[in-house]
Amino acid sequence: MKSVLNHDTVAGIDIGSRSIELVVLNPDGLLHRSKTSTAFDPVGQCRRLMDGVIGGRFIATGYGRRLFAESFRDIEVSVITEIQAYALGARFVCPEAMTVLDIGGQDTKVISLSGAGKVRKFEMNDRCAAGTGKFLEFMATALQVPLESFGDFALRSDHRIRINSMCAVFAESEATSLMAGGESPENIAMGLHMGIVQRTAAMLKRVGVSAPLVFAGGVAHNPCVVKLLEEELGQAVMVPEDPDMVGAIGAALYGLNGRVP
Amino acid sequence: MAGSYDEMWEKLNLDVEAHTGLLEVLGKFYGDIYMSQQGRLRGMEYLDFVLSEVHGLRIKELQDAKAQGKKVFGTFCVFVPEEIVLAAGGVQVGLCAGAEIGTSEAEKVLPRNTCALIKSFVGFKLGRLCPFIESCDMIVGETTCDGKKKAYEIFSEYSPVYVMEIPQMKNPADRELWRNEVMRFKNAVEDTTGNKISAESLKDAIHLTNERRRVLQRLNRLRAAVPVPISGRDVLLINQVSFYDDPVRFTAKIGELCDELEDRVKSGEGVAPKNTTRLMMSGCPMAVPNWKLPYIIESSGAIVVGEESCIGTRNTRDLIDENAKTFDSIIDAIVDRYMKIDCACFTPNTERLDNIVRMARDLKVQGVVHYGLSFCQPYAIEAFKVERALRSAGIPMLSIETDYSMEDVEQLKTRVEAFVEMTK
Amino acid sequence: MKDFEDAGEHFLLDLSELEDTDTKVAGVYCLLAPVELIRALGAIPVSLCGKKEWPIAAAERVLPSGLCPLIKSSYGYAITETCPYYSASDFLIAETTCDGKKKMYELLGLVKPLHLMHLPYTTEEPHALEFWRQEIIRLGSFLEERTGWKTDLDHLRFQIKTQNSIRKLLGRISRFQTAERVPISGLDMMTVMESKSFWIYPDKYQQLLQKFISQMEVFVESGFSPFADDAPRILLTGCPIGRGSEKVLRLVEDCGGVVVCMENCTGVKGLDLLVDEEESDPFMALARRYLQIPCSCMTPNTGRLDLLDRLIDEYRVDGVIDLTLQYCHTYNIESRIIGEFVETRRNLPFLHLETDYSDSDTERLGTRIEAFLEMAAPNSLDRAAGNGEPASL
Repeated sequence: MKSVLNHDTVAGIDIGSRSIELVVLNPDGLLHRSKTSTAFDPVGQCRRLMDGVIGGRFIATGYGRRLFAESFRDIEVSVITEIQAYALGARFVCPEAMTVLDIGGQDTKVISLSGAGKVRKFEMNDRCAAGTGKFLEFMATALQVPLESFGDFALRSDHRIRINSMCAVFAESEATSLMAGGESPENIAMGLHMGIVQRTAAMLKRVGVSAPLVFAGGVAHNPCVVKLLEEELGQAVMVPEDPDMVGAIGAALYGLNGRVP
Repeated sequence: MAGSYDEMWEKLNLDVEAHTGLLEVLGKFYGDIYMSQQGRLRGMEYLDFVLSEVHGLRIKELQDAKAQGKKVFGTFCVFVPEEIVLAAGGVQVGLCAGAEIGTSEAEKVLPRNTCALIKSFVGFKLGRLCPFIESCDMIVGETTCDGKKKAYEIFSEYSPVYVMEIPQMKNPADRELWRNEVMRFKNAVEDTTGNKISAESLKDAIHLTNERRRVLQRLNRLRAAVPVPISGRDVLLINQVSFYDDPVRFTAKIGELCDELEDRVKSGEGVAPKNTTRLMMSGCPMAVPNWKLPYIIESSGAIVVGEESCIGTRNTRDLIDENAKTFDSIIDAIVDRYMKIDCACFTPNTERLDNIVRMARDLKVQGVVHYGLSFCQPYAIEAFKVERALRSAGIPMLSIETDYSMEDVEQLKTRVEAFVEMTK
Repeated sequence: MKDFEDAGEHFLLDLSELEDTDTKVAGVYCLLAPVELIRALGAIPVSLCGKKEWPIAAAERVLPSGLCPLIKSSYGYAITETCPYYSASDFLIAETTCDGKKKMYELLGLVKPLHLMHLPYTTEEPHALEFWRQEIIRLGSFLEERTGWKTDLDHLRFQIKTQNSIRKLLGRISRFQTAERVPISGLDMMTVMESKSFWIYPDKYQQLLQKFISQMEVFVESGFSPFADDAPRILLTGCPIGRGSEKVLRLVEDCGGVVVCMENCTGVKGLDLLVDEEESDPFMALARRYLQIPCSCMTPNTGRLDLLDRLIDEYRVDGVIDLTLQYCHTYNIESRIIGEFVETRRNLPFLHLETDYSDSDTERLGTRIEAFLEMAAPNSLDRAAGNGEPASL
């Protein structure tokens, strides 16, 4: 791996449980962005991602941030939490952002920002899969629909049904019995999407939603979730061009402008 | 209940649209659980009517009463002495709620892992969906369980709450404490109503409430018959309605129902075959429209013949001594009667164990289903003691802990069915 | 520090020397137990509050799992007879504080003589004071019966003076953390504070505290601190913690914060409340003081907000963490009121954490605490957040 120390450039790396994103910035702008899947070897995947990348300091965030810091002792690494990273990244893609929602593969975060962009309050759900991207992935597999098109699939439903189960495992059983009862898979998919949105909305309301709301993370690619969220909250939801990158962007920004450790 | 009440609901600052939706759901629910029963008593028509008008006619009656200067007192616990309110010319209504309503609003101010009953009444308030709450001139809370105690602090941010200190033990000093609280409450009720409470008005009030208790006791006695002439679902509804219906009318109507029941018992007519497993429910209260447990039990091959709970014998078992003549001795009689309540908030509460065993024997039950609301610690801990006491008496017990959602209905049905098989 | 770490052992050692005497030991579970009266009637109070995880499994055989870990741990220690202080106790003194404890004591009273004091919950109402005074007198009768001692008002007044002076010394110690350069870690302070439940001889204990105060004065003079200058100063409030359940405190300090103050039963709660030595009726004086302890089982618990308000100023707090033990309903529901006060009235970041005694959520807690410290840090990220730089991509 080549990495030339250059005090002008900063790399932000977001090591999540499912994917890893890398962003390189200098004061003039973005130099590089890339991502890969975490697979089972986060350190190895990081190495591959960083190959050929010209970067000075690294700011690591996400689930694997400490692992990264420990594994790459030959470069200058600082760590910040995803909360901080997403707050900075959201403000970057939407300068007036007041609320940030991130539904990731294994956890969900809601962050409320002050007028100056500081984190005012946050809440995390990392205990129960039912409110995370994992739930949708699990259900898409159960209904044999590719995850990338699961949202569009659900949007083809012709009426809304309720899935009662809060738990991912029981929801699958419920879905199966509905199928056996002749319910269409599109409608079931819609019901499942409604479930995750309701749980997310409850979390948002507890923290407090102020517009604009930035929706980041992998699940933001899902158009059905976006639509249902907008309906549930009664306000527009802003999905950045590359929602997965928000954390890495925020981490890099921290390196550029934040406190130097 | 149609658009005719919209204006009244609007005046009470209800969210009329959401409220109408709620009533529709309630109606359907009631149809599934109640109207689907076979061989119902004619006397239940009154209850069906009251339920159908739960937020309509009864509220109108309350509004009319208020227009005449009467005051409405809302309560959450059988400990609050209704006699005091009645003696001052007031009306007392129970505000405990039994539906998952306004949950997202409630969960903004209460932790998610709070008892469903508490989240429900807070949700009804914050969602502006309960005309009873909005009709109250005074809302009375009490220091019973931790959840309620702290929830009233949150509730009082929206509506003032008068809190009664309920004793936690039954030593002489605690009786003194309770007597003082009853007197303090009396003063507060007098202030709110503008009426002085006399020995005479107390005696009249006691007679009213005692008569209501007597008719419910009569109903319970009739359920000891084999086969049982009325379903547990119907009796639960009767008990729930007793908390907000007019006492005189209610007592009369239930009296008529009991006459009908006596005829049935004489002719050996039951609401289920003779060999249907007889079960009794014990534990936490079930506020309207929480009909989940008797519905599950009665769809799993058993029938409910008794309730050892605030919506059952805990509320109706004890009468107030009507021999007292002076004001002070009448107050003493009231104080003594309420001190007999064996809620799990009391410690050590051993009398409850005796009451349960006695009741199970009197009703000739094959088993007891202990009902605990999720997160209710007093009843959860007592369930262990109850189980041991029943085991010594040779009576099997099934312990169920659940909330208001319909998510676990199938699982619960399986458990009850297995329990019924066990008791055969 | 070693003396404080070993306070429990020294207690047992001192106790063993008293074996031949008829000295009774009273196990207590709460700050509300009037230790002055216990000592005045010849018994030594010792804290049996369970802070470790391992006895919980035994407790869960008869107690529902949906109960606070402190309660389960305390009960578990009792029925497994693995706590030397419990074994040394001749009888137990308990109070009707929260539902969980109240009902657990029913079971505990079956294995060891237990006296239950009835705490009135509406402590601000006029009737509460006299009622609590009567309960203290009733405790006195129980103690007389158990120890064979008779109530001597002068001796009681003497014990009141002693406890007051000890509270003042502990208060003085806790206030060293108000310094700009915090002299010791919150973890060490916690160890010092825990010692208050494990001593027999007041003179010995007061000497120990005085010695420590002198050492601390030297530290503060020298400006020594184990913490960075800009380490966020955190106030930890809520449920009690201790060695064994200090997970959150440790995490805060591992992640670069410093816990300058604990507004909980382990920390400063009650230290500023002294018993009025001038009051003619010592029982009334005791009742008055103890009823002011701001526990969440009381309603309303306004004393806690007042105390937090003062502590935030005194200790120059940057952020407040409210720790609720899982299934503690009173502190859990109260947390919202505390949070609103801290965020809206004091404009400080607030974090509510719910946890138990196990290690399973250390990672998750760590992320939240780290994120919170980023929020609370006095001068972090003000430049990065919200100024719109760098140039658009």
